[in-house]
Amino acid sequence: MSAQLELPTVAPFFADKPDLLVEILGRYPDYGRRSALMPLLWEVQRAERHVGEARIAEIADILGLRATEVKGVMSFYSTYHEHPVGAYHLQICATLSCSLAGADELYDYLSEETGVVNGETDREGRFSIQKVECLGSCGSAPVLQINDDYYERVTRSRCAALLEAMRADRLEAPWRERSGDTDVADPVAARADGSPSGTGGAP
Amino acid sequence: MKVTVNDVEVDLAPGTSAIDAVFAAGYDVPYFCSQEYMSPVGACRMCLAKVGAPRKDRDGNWILDDETGERTIFAFPALLATCTSALSEGMVIDTLSEEVKHAQNGMIEFTLINHPLDCPVCDKGGACELQDRSYEYGSGRSRFEFTKRHQEKHHPLSDLITLDRERCIHCKRCVRYFEEVPGDEVLDFIDRGGHTYIGTVEHGLPSNFTGNITDICPVGALLDATSRFRGRNWEYDHTASVSLDDASGSAVVVDARTGRIERIKAGLHPEVNKSWIDDGIRFGHEYTADPERITRPLLRKDGELVEVPWPEAAAFVAERLKEFSGKDVGVCIRADATLEEGVAALALAEHLGTGQVDHAPRYGPTVMPPAQATLQELAVSDAIFVVGDVSEEVPAVDLRIKDALRGVTPPPLLPHGVPIADLRLKERMPRKREILCVAAPYRVDLMRHAGTVARYDVGGEETLFRGLIAIAEGGSADERVLGMTLAAAKAFVDRLRAAKKAVIVTGGFVLSSQAAADAAERFARAVGARQLVLGPMANAYGLEAIGVLPSHARYDYASMVAGGAKALLISNLDPAADPAVAERLAESRLLVVHDMFMTATARLAHVVLPAKSGFEKDGTVVNLEGRFMPVRAAPVDAGEAVDVTGLVRELGLAFGVRIEGRSVRSARRSLRKTLGTDLEELTGLGAFVALPRRRVAVSVAARPGVRGRALRVPTMVRQEYLLRNPHLLATLGGPALRLHPDDARTRALSHDDEVTVRVDGVPRRLRVYVTDAMPSGVVSVPALPDAPAGPADVDLDGIVVERRRLEVA
Repeated sequence: MSAQLELPTVAPFFADKPDLLVEILGRYPDYGRRSALMPLLWEVQRAERHVGEARIAEIADILGLRATEVKGVMSFYSTYHEHPVGAYHLQICATLSCSLAGADELYDYLSEETGVVNGETDREGRFSIQKVECLGSCGSAPVLQINDDYYERVTRSRCAALLEAMRADRLEAPWRERSGDTDVADPVAARADGSPSGTGGAP
Repeated sequence: MKVTVNDVEVDLAPGTSAIDAVFAAGYDVPYFCSQEYMSPVGACRMCLAKVGAPRKDRDGNWILDDETGERTIFAFPALLATCTSALSEGMVIDTLSEEVKHAQNGMIEFTLINHPLDCPVCDKGGACELQDRSYEYGSGRSRFEFTKRHQEKHHPLSDLITLDRERCIHCKRCVRYFEEVPGDEVLDFIDRGGHTYIGTVEHGLPSNFTGNITDICPVGALLDATSRFRGRNWEYDHTASVSLDDASGSAVVVDARTGRIERIKAGLHPEVNKSWIDDGIRFGHEYTADPERITRPLLRKDGELVEVPWPEAAAFVAERLKEFSGKDVGVCIRADATLEEGVAALALAEHLGTGQVDHAPRYGPTVMPPAQATLQELAVSDAIFVVGDVSEEVPAVDLRIKDALRGVTPPPLLPHGVPIADLRLKERMPRKREILCVAAPYRVDLMRHAGTVARYDVGGEETLFRGLIAIAEGGSADERVLGMTLAAAKAFVDRLRAAKKAVIVTGGFVLSSQAAADAAERFARAVGARQLVLGPMANAYGLEAIGVLPSHARYDYASMVAGGAKALLISNLDPAADPAVAERLAESRLLVVHDMFMTATARLAHVVLPAKSGFEKDGTVVNLEGRFMPVRAAPVDAGEAVDVTGLVRELGLAFGVRIEGRSVRSARRSLRKTLGTDLEELTGLGAFVALPRRRVAVSVAARPGVRGRALRVPTMVRQEYLLRNPHLLATLGGPALRLHPDDARTRALSHDDEVTVRVDGVPRRLRVYVTDAMPSGVVSVPALPDAPAGPADVDLDGIVVERRRLEVA
């Protein structure tokens, strides 16, 4: 008998996280089980920087849905990624205020420096660039969102410093002009303790 | 509730939608997203109308106009989507004013912004809702001059359905259909926003009811792949008929062009299939145009079958029949023959003086239960117990069960027909899963929707029902026999007994054992439930009702082919697929085969007579609920093919006798005497005719008991024609030998291997289908007309692998 074709199997993501699953599903009544779709997608994305097909199928299984439905919801949100984004997901606001304040030049600079264009991830998986619509921080344009954090008034020199820090994996938490929803010393730690993060964490 | 539409006052029930009021008043309003039997969502905004209503003051009195003294009509501030608006007392709906026309015109222009307008090459052209509404309500010109959005134009959603994403207008009918009707959400909007398209990640749309989306698509976006580019809508002859594919009696429309069936669409029958049909019915028509079809009579001359004119073939048969005493002749027709064909077969047998007349496939037990449920009763049932795999056996029943789960009664018909917008229906309605219990020897699709699931052992139907009877009588039963916990069984038996409209649905697995069928009937009586029995083929009910049955148990079909009949006339059956039977038939003195194709039996025959397919004959069938339904012939070129009435006519001419049933009319004259009803007058919806209910005195020869843990299972597609239906074959890959992954491993079989295996001694070429739906140690093969559903003997040790699965390097 010839060799069997084995499809690459992926270990289920939630199999070793029963507590997390119970916690997330417990937020919703039984008839509204499908509501857990968003937090589950978010958990996967936070861990894997994208939600792949196998994960979509796994989430559909957990919630008793079809994978198509999960995909339908997921594809509505530009913040869920089908393909892995880089360790540093650079989101450049391309709406009016930022544009007037030099976002287009900022984009050109970042693109040239990282070697990728809008929607791409570099070979090393370090940087992805995405043009996004208004981030709601027009007063401090231009705004660059790196992963979940806003970096405001990003001039050319500040941008160069940020790039350097990212290349060295020494990116510091941003300093915000006005206190915002990430106005805590360590936003990641704050999320971990269950407080709202504003980008898809606990409701 | 009185409402005024333009100048017409109509009186409709509260809860009716405004769009239905408009149509009930005889006016028209355009719409794309509303669809009969589906929830109204108000997505397309085409059905806008100016709506007003009177109001009451705080004291509950109508606010009256000071001058006229009539109720003041307060117009709603904006135009309303009539499909999502419920009527209120005194409502005034205006669909003709300039304001409304302007809005309709604007919406047409908006909908057409990105529509490619490729009507000249579009299969929907001539029968397209968008085309028609644009013509009726659009201005004929667009102000948008920029380049239209381009998207994929030939996207295969499955092997059976092709999607043109440019033509899609996002009415969401198809997406809603999958969630609301079969409950398989295999299609959804992807990338919702400015670039929305419909798509799936379930490859090939895994559902038995995918084809319906091509019927309800208001544009040419979703097309039936079997009919794509085959013809224009105005060239087709549309024949409203009844499907002979299964026992449901589903209404279909057969579209034929230049003597060839190009497309089957769902017909509307509010009490049977509503407007849905399964994929087996829709896509399983290509065999009728198979080039290998027999179109002229064949007579064996010098050992070779040669084409001869009908009179010569008939004369040969008549002459040879003289050699036999009547009782040595056997006549058997297939169980999807019409009543008229049944009459013809009976008349022929009577003329020959034989009691050896039968229809097959036929089980020993009756398909006419004493407490017969109808499909409408099933759809409003409050407790349903299903044994077997209805979704494959008679898929229309599966959908009616899902109606019951939604708990919305079938809508009353309005003057214009089925309500366009039934406001009781919603997207994602909660389903009353607890009212459904599904039991089967393996995992069946309907179990996903059932509150209680039972997996009993192969051939365990009798003990299952005996166990349930014991529980109903206050006793207890073994959980292994029940296939579920005792507590679950008790709870469901109590539910059945407490229910006002309980229905028990059983199919071939139960019918294949007299003891099981008796037990099912006793259980139904014990809990006060009605029964729906899924007969093996389209007219099993009717042929049993008019008595196309042998005069003695030892004269049945199995005995006939086993040597009981020295001369045999068989229609559309292939007993010689079994080599043991073939050996005996090869020695028979006269074998006349009436069939569409050169089957193994036809190859042995002395005379082969060309048969009509179910799409080509007129007649009547009785569906599984006992409803008489008219079958109408589509204009298909079938050469000199005849149905059984035609066969009897030709033989009668050769005998020089006028046999009853020599034509459909003659058979109906005969039936009028026995039924007291003229079937000529049957309308498309059919009718229930009171039948003298009798127990079948004769039963088929007792089948040997379970020898292995194997099953012949009912399938949605007709296996005898599967190899001649290229599109269905491509989708299914072939008749499946289904088995558990563990069994596949121990036998070194892998998914998609092609194998030959003996099923009850008959070698069958099958494709290995590895699935955990089968319990370990159990295998299933598809049932055939000559080997209907039930326990089987599958010789797995003698399995021969013909071709390994194509390996991908």
